[in-house]
Amino acid sequence: MTMLRSVPRPLAIALLIALPVSPRVASQGLDPAALLKPASDSWPTYHGDYTGQRHSRLTQITPVNVHQMTLAWAFQTGQTQQIKATPILVNGVIYVTTPDNLWAIDARSGRQIWRYTYPANDGFHIGHRGVAVYKDFVYLTTPDAHLIALDARDGKVKWNIVIADAKRGYWSTNAPLVIRNHLIVGVSGDFDNLPGILRSFDAETGKPQWTFHSTPPPGTPGSISGGATGGQMWMTGTYDPELNLLYVGTGNPTPVLNGAMRPGDNRWTGSIVALNPDTGALAWGFQVSPHDTHDWDAAEVPVLVDRDFGGQPRKLLLQASRNGYYFVLDRTNGKNLLTAPFATVNWAKEIDKEGRPIPNPDKEPARDGRLVAPDEAGGTNYRSPSFDPATGLLVVSAHDAYGLYFFKPEHGEYGWAGASPAVYGRGVLRAIDYQTGRTRWNHDLHGGAGAAGVLTTASGLTFTGDSAGSALALRTSDGTTLWHSGVGRVGNSPITYELDGRQYVVVGGGSALYAFALAAP
Amino acid sequence: MTSLHLMNLVHLVHPTRLRTFCALCLVSIVLVSPIHAQRGQASPAAQRPPQTTTPQQYPREQVEAGRVRFAAQCGFCHGRDAAGGEGGTDLTRSALVAEDVRGSRIIPLVRSGRTDKGMPAFTLPDAELAAIVAFIHDQKRQAESVAGGRRVVDPSDLQSGNADAGRRFFDGACARCHSPGGDLAGIASRLQGLALLQRMLNPAAGRGAGSGRAVPKVTVKTASGEAVSGTLTYRDEFTIAITDASGWHRSWPTRLVTFTVDDALQAHVEQLGKYTDADMHNVLAYLQTLK
Repeated sequence: MTMLRSVPRPLAIALLIALPVSPRVASQGLDPAALLKPASDSWPTYHGDYTGQRHSRLTQITPVNVHQMTLAWAFQTGQTQQIKATPILVNGVIYVTTPDNLWAIDARSGRQIWRYTYPANDGFHIGHRGVAVYKDFVYLTTPDAHLIALDARDGKVKWNIVIADAKRGYWSTNAPLVIRNHLIVGVSGDFDNLPGILRSFDAETGKPQWTFHSTPPPGTPGSISGGATGGQMWMTGTYDPELNLLYVGTGNPTPVLNGAMRPGDNRWTGSIVALNPDTGALAWGFQVSPHDTHDWDAAEVPVLVDRDFGGQPRKLLLQASRNGYYFVLDRTNGKNLLTAPFATVNWAKEIDKEGRPIPNPDKEPARDGRLVAPDEAGGTNYRSPSFDPATGLLVVSAHDAYGLYFFKPEHGEYGWAGASPAVYGRGVLRAIDYQTGRTRWNHDLHGGAGAAGVLTTASGLTFTGDSAGSALALRTSDGTTLWHSGVGRVGNSPITYELDGRQYVVVGGGSALYAFALAAP
Repeated sequence: MTSLHLMNLVHLVHPTRLRTFCALCLVSIVLVSPIHAQRGQASPAAQRPPQTTTPQQYPREQVEAGRVRFAAQCGFCHGRDAAGGEGGTDLTRSALVAEDVRGSRIIPLVRSGRTDKGMPAFTLPDAELAAIVAFIHDQKRQAESVAGGRRVVDPSDLQSGNADAGRRFFDGACARCHSPGGDLAGIASRLQGLALLQRMLNPAAGRGAGSGRAVPKVTVKTASGEAVSGTLTYRDEFTIAITDASGWHRSWPTRLVTFTVDDALQAHVEQLGKYTDADMHNVLAYLQTLK
């Protein structure tokens, strides 16, 4: 609207008349229905599709020829900030972000088409996960918790709205999720005692549609949070169109390490929740970390898989969670089918009859410290896993780690409220059998926790990055390295697409984006 | 998110939160065992952070500008108040900040990063860097004038162990590589509190060169049969790199050589899965006697 107001009125009217019939808009915009079955020349949403499997049907690059993969192009952001965003590809254009920055890049050549820079602000500039695209809109969340809609063609701002109040401590790194005309946006906010919110906006107008509270504003009658705040939904969820359910992982409670002032389970923190995307109504919740006192959110990707489980076809939801446990749920009703550790853990005293690990009180933060596995960074984290249907493996960037946890009353009841120094951690790419939770293979990442997510392809390849600065291609069946390139630390999840008959794999290395493909003339 | 070494954390208690804070202290007397409750009264002077060597004054506007830039660029890891956040150190207790004079130490570090510890390099305009430095010093000045804190672990908190039990555990689990009169002589004079506990659990943790952290020794055998020894500088799936006896960097593709890494750390890593919390506190109590 602002854009139109700034041009002479007759021209504005002409534009208004011209826009709806412009063939460019009609042919180039992203119909949200395309997200139900994304084309192979696109990566139109954070996880590639609604399932969160990050598995591609493309097969041009194979275990046999992957060693011939070579650089097709590189895009230098010219920034020092690491790329942590999943690139989004629509209509031959890649959109990639760092905090306050959005670039539109030609997916064939790596050339910049346009760049948008958000004004300087004091929100946390810790990372950014990426954009969402709807018709000719591109959406960017900001460190001060705004949501900006831009014209996908030229990066001009269409509107700018507030998601949550940054002055209270909210910020956003979120890649929104588009479901029909709903633009679903999450925020972060661990350093202050803030209610957990997920919001939906009209994708065209930015008008608020609904807000889901994982923890209610303090004082809400009938609250089940036990006095906890937090539970921020800072990662992008997944969606089952048949059930019309949106699945999101919720964050840890606040105050983070002080559990005494928020007794009970603190629902719905540390949980997987299923929501109606039209209303934000809770269909069901499953708490993977009741009464967390270790900063273990359950924000990790809820991966949706339709497969046999226990000899019966099921609609499954898989999550390798930050608390070190792997969960299989029936996603129609949230009932637990399996709970098994996938990383080093020593904090639970039992798995209850609902499948929830119950914290051992002796491992809660204490004045003299407790040695706890995993550490604050968790058994995994934001880095996306991938499900490979051919092998039935969930490939996870795991972290076997120990940390110390301290809490004493002097630490108070606000924000972090304790201390949680890391002791030791080792990053391992771990392939988990989806039915048993058992490890099929490990691939050492040669360092601490990895930063890279995982991509699998139907040809039997796994793409990721190690902790030492290499992009990797592995054989999915056994984890053997088949290719590598020392592009720098991969901080995002790789994507793949096919354009003009050529398959590309794109990874972020440091602050640059690299596209690899089989050698071409 | 990233998790690195949070050490010596401290935070100012916000005045408006004092009331709830004190209310919680009362609760604590009920919840915390008596032996712990007594330890909350250690002298704050015993755990004072490194003091600023060269007192510095900054204009209020510069400090406020720095507050905004610091929050945006540094706040997630180091806390909005510079007293520690998710993964980063408490800068108000940092020895480097104590020695800094108007950015002499801070600015080069911000520009180069500490990538081995997860801190990226930053390219920021000089004025922004100067403002960030002003803010850090202002926060440190305020921290020095306040006792106690929200995220600090005091040496007095770490006195729950039994030194005799710790010595027995040490004799069984640690004495193969360590001796109280040898490598550990005087360890408690060099390291105290959380720093000693972290070094005990993981000798590779700590504050970088010169602090006595363990560096693995490596012997590489090349295809021609030459054996080269040195200390490990870098190792991944594809490359092994050492600093040789003359101080030169040398590296080889891992597929072309054989090598052995004498990594004392491995025994410590295995021990992490064996310690009970009582064992850990007992061994720490024993090490605290080695002054």
